[in-house]
Amino acid sequence: MPFLLRRILFYLAAFVAAATINFFLPRLMPGDPVALMFSSAASELPPESLEALKLTFGFVDGPLWKQYLTYLSSIFTGDLGVSVKYFPLPVTDLLGRALLWTVGLVGTATLVSFVLGSFLGMVAAWRRGSRLDVVLSVSAIFATSIPAVVTSLVALFVFGFTLGWFPTGYAHDPALDPSFSLAFFASVAHHAILPLITLCFVLTGGFTVTMRNNMINLLGQDYVVMARAKGLSDRRVMVWYAARNALLPTVSSLAIALGTVLGGSLVTEVVFNYPGLGNTLYQAILARDYPVIQGQLLVMTAAMLVSNFIVDVSYVLLDPRLKGSG
Amino acid sequence: MGQLWIGLRRNRKAFIGLAIVLLILLVALAAPLLTEYNPAARTGRPHQPPSAEHILGTTRLGQDVWARLIYGAQTSLAVGFAAGLLITVVGTTLGIVAGYRGGKTDEVISFFTNMVLVVPNLPLLLVIASFVGQAGPMVIALILGLTSWAWGARVTRAETLSVKQRDFVKAAEMMGEPQWRIMAFEILPNVFSIVGINFIGSVIFAVITEATLEFLGLGDPNVISWGTMLYNAQKASALSVGAWWDILAPCLALALLGIGLSLLNFAVDEIANPRLRTGGRLARWTSLVKSGEGRL
Amino acid sequence: MSDALLSVSNLTIDYIGAETDFRAVDDVSFDVAPGEVFGLAGESGCGKSTIAFAVSRLHAPPALIRKGSQIRLAGRDVLRLNRKDLADFRWREVAMVFQSAMNSLNPVLRIEEQFYDVLRTHTGCTRNEARARTAEMLKLVDIKPERMRDYPHQFSGGMRQRIVIAICLALDPKLVVMDEPTTALDVVVQREILQRIDELRRQRGFSVLFITHDLGLMVQFCDRIGVMLSGKMVEQGPSEAIFRAPQHDYTKRLWASFPSLKGGVLG
Ligand SMILES: Nc1ncnc2c1ncn2[C@@H]1O[C@H](COP(=O)(O)OP(=O)(O)O)[C@@H](O)[C@H]1O
Ligand SMILES: [Mg+2]
Repeated sequence: MPFLLRRILFYLAAFVAAATINFFLPRLMPGDPVALMFSSAASELPPESLEALKLTFGFVDGPLWKQYLTYLSSIFTGDLGVSVKYFPLPVTDLLGRALLWTVGLVGTATLVSFVLGSFLGMVAAWRRGSRLDVVLSVSAIFATSIPAVVTSLVALFVFGFTLGWFPTGYAHDPALDPSFSLAFFASVAHHAILPLITLCFVLTGGFTVTMRNNMINLLGQDYVVMARAKGLSDRRVMVWYAARNALLPTVSSLAIALGTVLGGSLVTEVVFNYPGLGNTLYQAILARDYPVIQGQLLVMTAAMLVSNFIVDVSYVLLDPRLKGSG
Repeated sequence: MGQLWIGLRRNRKAFIGLAIVLLILLVALAAPLLTEYNPAARTGRPHQPPSAEHILGTTRLGQDVWARLIYGAQTSLAVGFAAGLLITVVGTTLGIVAGYRGGKTDEVISFFTNMVLVVPNLPLLLVIASFVGQAGPMVIALILGLTSWAWGARVTRAETLSVKQRDFVKAAEMMGEPQWRIMAFEILPNVFSIVGINFIGSVIFAVITEATLEFLGLGDPNVISWGTMLYNAQKASALSVGAWWDILAPCLALALLGIGLSLLNFAVDEIANPRLRTGGRLARWTSLVKSGEGRL
Repeated sequence: MSDALLSVSNLTIDYIGAETDFRAVDDVSFDVAPGEVFGLAGESGCGKSTIAFAVSRLHAPPALIRKGSQIRLAGRDVLRLNRKDLADFRWREVAMVFQSAMNSLNPVLRIEEQFYDVLRTHTGCTRNEARARTAEMLKLVDIKPERMRDYPHQFSGGMRQRIVIAICLALDPKLVVMDEPTTALDVVVQREILQRIDELRRQRGFSVLFITHDLGLMVQFCDRIGVMLSGKMVEQGPSEAIFRAPQHDYTKRLWASFPSLKGGVLG
């Protein structure tokens, strides 16, 4: 399908752009880029590992374009270097393990808040001006305007420390080893609830507002008025005529919102000490573990592009005008 | 513009939002009058709960939390508005140029805009900030301004495309006005509500993101701002040792500023887009229906 | 009066503002007889669509139908219908064709689906019965029944408007309100559609409330015409009379501004 093919090419370009930033950033900074990136590594890594690391990041003898190609080729062969802090753990292993937790957390939170937010937005728009609309809109404003750091910290304080309803950190009971046991899954769920609720709180409001605005702009459309003139039930008009169409721009705004989602999850993970990407990254920043910091940008970008692609596909499935036609 | 002002005055959301933001601004400016303490100095014993002496308690280093909070407001507001302004200027310029010039210019700008939109913002900022080292507030503002303009550029471009079709633009073109004049004096005033929404939205984004970067340890920990307050409190495990005031004070301040700015933003949105408005006419309509004056 | 199908009397509609109201329709009365085509003429913004909406009670806030207004259709007091009766009344008694041909069909539902939801709501029929009826109606407007599985964007503007007309007739309503049904279409398509409507009307016997600002079309197509000026009905009568011997100044000016009419239409 040409539309989707075009998107894939575009995503590839975006990924290369992120890699390019990684490549040039240390070289643009004042001083010696090698010293900048590997200052801590130099004292901790064996010399041959340091050489390998330099090669991975394109610090080879030769012109800039050759260095650039060296770097790109290591990325596209899946070599993101080794972590300095957790030497000799490769960055891909470190991030891959963390990514699993993040995807679980973020995926669930996004899905839940998208469905819930769109539903609330639909109801608010359909009954716009009513008390329900005012309450929903104002709560949505409040929820979206509070930074994720703040929401997470307050939730942790109230429900974790003060009320003691939920654990105050980590993804499962450390006494349990990961396994396919009921006890383990129960522990994972119990640990995930608070970060999940926090993320949903941060995200739902945005979807509510988007859906409400999109839908209000559609309510005056002739096909919505005609649906009412046809004597259809309110529910049918609201869902299948107004909301079904308002969902299209809402879904495309979901693609943009994913950046916020990822950002929000980074912070939430740090606060809840959740072993996902955010926390790994936090540790890396504290240790100035540059291979990990750079690697997370690539992994996050890839995650973002994949989610964008999923959004593209669902958009095509939702809009008959894009199906079949070139 | 005049219309915008009248709309703002009638809109309750706008009024409350503006009041909150102005209050915080006032407190920030009047900080030296509102506390006797030096926000950086040790002025009490570590982690004292709120008392008459230290109304919001003290940090682990024995600094006065209230003093840090109101001096920190200066930083948060300054970064927020500086970065917001920069983001808006870059986004608006690119959006208008792309929308008005069209053709190759548009293709190039739009391509970059879309690219920046799919590279996740916070991870990108983290990488840049980590190379910069301990970034001061204005460096953070600069980084934010240079990386976060894409959304504004996109919406401004869309709006420009529709304004471009209007008669007065065509007329100006016929008169042979130079392109930059048309963009600056014909297009810009007519996309002003989008620019306003973009600006307030960007300020919110900048305030939140600065705090987040500092919280994650990428700021200069010696600067006094809400973000570094969070960072220091988190590092001192304030929550687990029960020093909730240390962490909740900057939390609530950030939440309040965020809410104030968002209320303003929604108000501007409603004024610019009358269909979203629900206010006075609806109340009047409802009372007329209730009193039997008419029906649907 | 008693033999009229639609009887509108003293209809007054305001758009409520935050401080002042805008009177879009001001004390308008007119009747439409069974099988008749009644035209509403007048420049854009004079309140024609506002009347059309009121007939099916489609208004939303801030529109307000003032007390004292009355709309009766086939003996029923339209403004007093409760929720359930109103849902039943819509489309079964009064169907409607909207101004923009391109935009009256839901872009994400198949044509078939847009017939089916009307038929199911009003007649409770099964999907197969609905398909049979859909095919029958599409044939009426010269569209191949196989195409009921298509989406609106796969049809041209003229075809879409014909589909809307087919949906209108699916329940054999007594009145079809047409609000500038051909404005968005080019002249040839416009003729075609009006001719088809005229034939169908003769076969099926429904009345039409026809709204346009194109006077040429109006005189040709309507039995009687009402002329509106900023919310008020200034003159009404048989087309011939309104055209040949307009009483009101505004009507005269309206005619004068269409000089081509004299020779072209009735001559
Ligand atoms: N929702 C609304 N709010 C306020 N005024 C409206 C609204 N809809 C229509 N009007 C006004 O009512 C008048 C009549 O509109 P309309 O019935 O659509 O005119 P016509 O169909 O004859 O062109 C117009 O002047 C229009 O500006
Ligand atoms: Mg009209």
